[in-house]
This record gives sequence, structure tokens and C-alpha cells, in this order.
Amino acid sequence: MKIVLDRPRCEGHGLCEEAAPQLMHLDDDGELVLDREEVDEADAALANAAVRVCPVAALRIA
Amino acid sequence: MRPSHFTEGMTTPPTSDVDLFADEVVLDPYPVYAELREQGPVVHLRKNDVYALTRYAVIRDALPDWESFSSTSIAFNPMANEALTGTSLASDPPVHTQLRATLTENLSPRALRGLKGRIEAKADVLVAELVEKGSFEAISALARAFPLEVVADLIGFTGHVRDNMLRWGQAAMQVIGPMNQRTAESFPIAGELYEWCSQVKASDLAEGSVGRGIFDAEARGAIPPDTAGHIIHQYLGAGVDTTVAAIGNIVALFASHPDQLDLIRENPSLVPGAFNEVLRFWPPVNAWGRRATKDVDIDGTVIPAGAQIAVLLGAGNRDPRHYENPDAFLVERNPVDHLSFGYGPHGCAGQGLARLEAHAVIEALSRRVKRLVVGLEVRVPSNITRSIEELPILEVIPA
Ligand code: HEM
Repeated sequence: MKIVLDRPRCEGHGLCEEAAPQLMHLDDDGELVLDREEVDEADAALANAAVRVCPVAALRIA
Repeated sequence: MRPSHFTEGMTTPPTSDVDLFADEVVLDPYPVYAELREQGPVVHLRKNDVYALTRYAVIRDALPDWESFSSTSIAFNPMANEALTGTSLASDPPVHTQLRATLTENLSPRALRGLKGRIEAKADVLVAELVEKGSFEAISALARAFPLEVVADLIGFTGHVRDNMLRWGQAAMQVIGPMNQRTAESFPIAGELYEWCSQVKASDLAEGSVGRGIFDAEARGAIPPDTAGHIIHQYLGAGVDTTVAAIGNIVALFASHPDQLDLIRENPSLVPGAFNEVLRFWPPVNAWGRRATKDVDIDGTVIPAGAQIAVLLGAGNRDPRHYENPDAFLVERNPVDHLSFGYGPHGCAGQGLARLEAHAVIEALSRRVKRLVVGLEVRVPSNITRSIEELPILEVIPA
């Protein structure tokens, strides 16, 4: 599975990073960086948690 | 009324005679919400002529689904919807997408990062003073004083505007309700805010403020001409009364749940989760509007095209299908997916600022206070924002 970011929608609330710091982080400018876009079974729960918590629905799983 | 093209097997939603905006309901909506939730995920309220969305799952699906549920009717009376036309709050994509970008340019967590330290310092000074005093009225001295100061500084307000922010902010939310007496009395006051915002100039705002930055952006052409005043209008309309309510709720809930305050005192990493729980338990905004753009099927029942929707955020937050033991206030729950900021394209644009303010207050309170002894809490019925009017703190037992 793959995490997909709708870049224009992202406002940098950072809740996804709190949910899944292994997969993504905000850089020094507050822009979201997906450290891993392709995620395997083992990280599916983390990826789903990050998607779920985004307050503006800027993340999805494809 | 019933459109003829309903598919076989579809039924109309259950009905109820509950009045969502009756005094006793706005003062304590949760028993009524529990009743409606049990009736079904969508219930037609005859008295208000609205279709109420009552359960967590249906609300969470509806909020981002602008193709079925339009924001052109977020208010429960046509005059307010008309007045809001052209704002981000009341627009649907694709127009909304552009307005939202303009609105968040100066309000996103990215834009606010520089303010964190100042906001934390302000909260700490204020809380320290109040603890020192030992007794105070928490709504005026903290819940109102703190966000008013933060937002006034943020936008760069000075003079009489500062004095009017609370009245204007309250009225802007009140008029979102149905056309009852509260709404009628608030329209002229909301009008004062609108008037002021339509003629405010850069030079009226303090240098270096975010408000001034919005005018600079307009001058640079980064945002469309004549939008700066409207943006400031939205910050004030949406950002004052809600945050005041949230901070008052923090104080009241900590006072009535000393065991929960203890948990935060022992473990400061619970601060963000504690704010999520305050918002889940007592949302500043319990009911918010949408309009059905077409016949919408909800679990086999149909909301007819054109119907006014009431999204019961406060009912979804207490849905036992989603949260275990939902009527308990538990700061360790960390309900990150609560509905109190909305969700999706219209999800609260000011939530970064609200979090900065609330986290700073919770942090300062949990560091300086062991117990709060409160007197009688006073509430006044209000259409949209549910907040405490007076909360006397009789005694502070310092940490
Ligand atoms: C605890 C405090 C707050 C609560 C509970 C709250 C709640 C909400 C909710 C429920 C919505 C969604 C409306 C919808 O779906 O139609 C919203 C939108 C909005 N909020 Fe907040 N809000 C808070 C604080 C703030 C602050 C501090 C500001 C600004 C300074 C602000 C500005 C806005 C704006 C501009 C929108 C419209 C966004 C859009 O339409 O895209 N809010 N808020």
C-alpha cells in the first residue's frame, strides 16, 4: 500500500507526525515530508492512524 | 414532499418533536442527543424542519462530502446564510479551495510557529497572577481575557475594537441559529462587526501583526483585492467565542475532575490529549448546518434534496458506537478524531491557534494548581456556542 499526500490541502497541523513519526515528519519550514510512501503490512496500522487523524483529510491510502 | 423517484426499500427517517434550540436543550443537549442517536443516524426534527445527523460514523462521512452536503446553508436562518455568501465558511469547492488557501496563509500552524513562545509566556503570567490572588471569576479573568488578548495582538487590534471583540464575536455565532429572539437581537451587533471589517485599513492595525500581514499580502497581489477585511471578519467571527468557550470548559472540567487534573500533573505529555478530551466532551459548537444537494441515502433512509441538515457534532462525540464509556471525562483517552473542529475541507482553519492557546493554559494550570474549589456555575442559553457565563473560583490550592 501507498500513502498519498494532497499537498495543497496540507496545512502542517502535524498530527500525522505524532501518530506515525516513523513514516513522516514536518521539516524546518513546517512542510510535511513522507519519509516512506510505500508501506508494508507491518506498518499498515501506523499509516492508517496518520490518515485518520489528518484534520483536513489531506492524506489517503492508495 | 416525498420525491417520487425513491428507490424500492428506502424509507423516510424517523421523526422527533425535539426543538434543538429550546433553552433547556442548548443548556444541556446531551440527554436529547442520546435519545436522537438511538432513534437513528438521521432524524427529522419537525419543529426545526431539519434532518439531524446523530451518530459518529455518519457525521464523519458527511463533513468532507461537499458534493452531497453543501456549506451554502451552515446557518439555520436564510439571512445569515445570505450574509455569509462568498466566505470560505459558506462556500463549496472549487471556490472554497481558493478562499481557504487565502484564509490559512496567515493562520496555518506554519504561519503561527513564531507565536508559540509568546502565547505560552502570556498564559503562564496570567495563571500565576490568578493563583496568587487565590479567588477569581474564571470566565472573565481567564477564559475571556486570554484569547481576547491573543487574538487582539495577533490581528493587531487597538482601541475600541479590542473592547468590542467579545460582543461582536458572541453575536457572530448567535446569528447562525434559527430566527429566534436571540438571533434577532444579535443581528445588529453582528452588523457592527461586519461594518467595521468592511472599512478597516492597514493603518488601523498594529505594525508587525498578522492582520497587517494580511493587508501586505493584498497589496502584493498574493490574495485577491478587497479580501483582507473579510478574512479578519472570519478570524473574529469564528475564532473568539469558540476559544473562550473551550478555555472556560477546561477550567470547569479540571475543577470538577481533580483526579483527571492529577493525571496531567503527573504526566505533562497528556496536555494535548486532555484538550482533545475537553473538546470531545463539551464541544464549543454542538450543532452546525449543511444543505443536502440531492436525495442522500443514509443506511437505507433518505434525506430529500434541498433539506436543511443539522450536523450534531456533540452527539457524534458521545456515540458509544465509537467511544467507549462516552459520557465519562477521561484525559487519557486522547480522542484525536473528535468532531469538534469539524473535518475535511472546512475543518477548523484556526485549530492550530486554538491548540496553542489551550495547550498553554492547560500546561500552566497543571503546573501551578493542585485543586480548584468552585462556586455555582452560571450558564445562559445560546444558539450555537455552548459556554459557561460565570465560574467563581472560591479557592486555589496551589501545586
Ligand atoms: C476551540 C476553538 C474552536 C472550535 C471548537 C472551532 C470549531 C470550528 C468548526 C466546527 C469549524 C467547521 C465548520 C464547518 O465544517 O463548516 C470551524 C471552521 C473555521 N474556524 Fe474554527 N474553531 C475554533 C477556533 C478557531 C479560531 C481560533 C479561529 C481563527 C482565529 C477559527 C477560524 C475558523 C475558520 C476561518 C473556519 C472556516 C474554515 C473553512 O470554511 O474552510 N476557529 N471551526
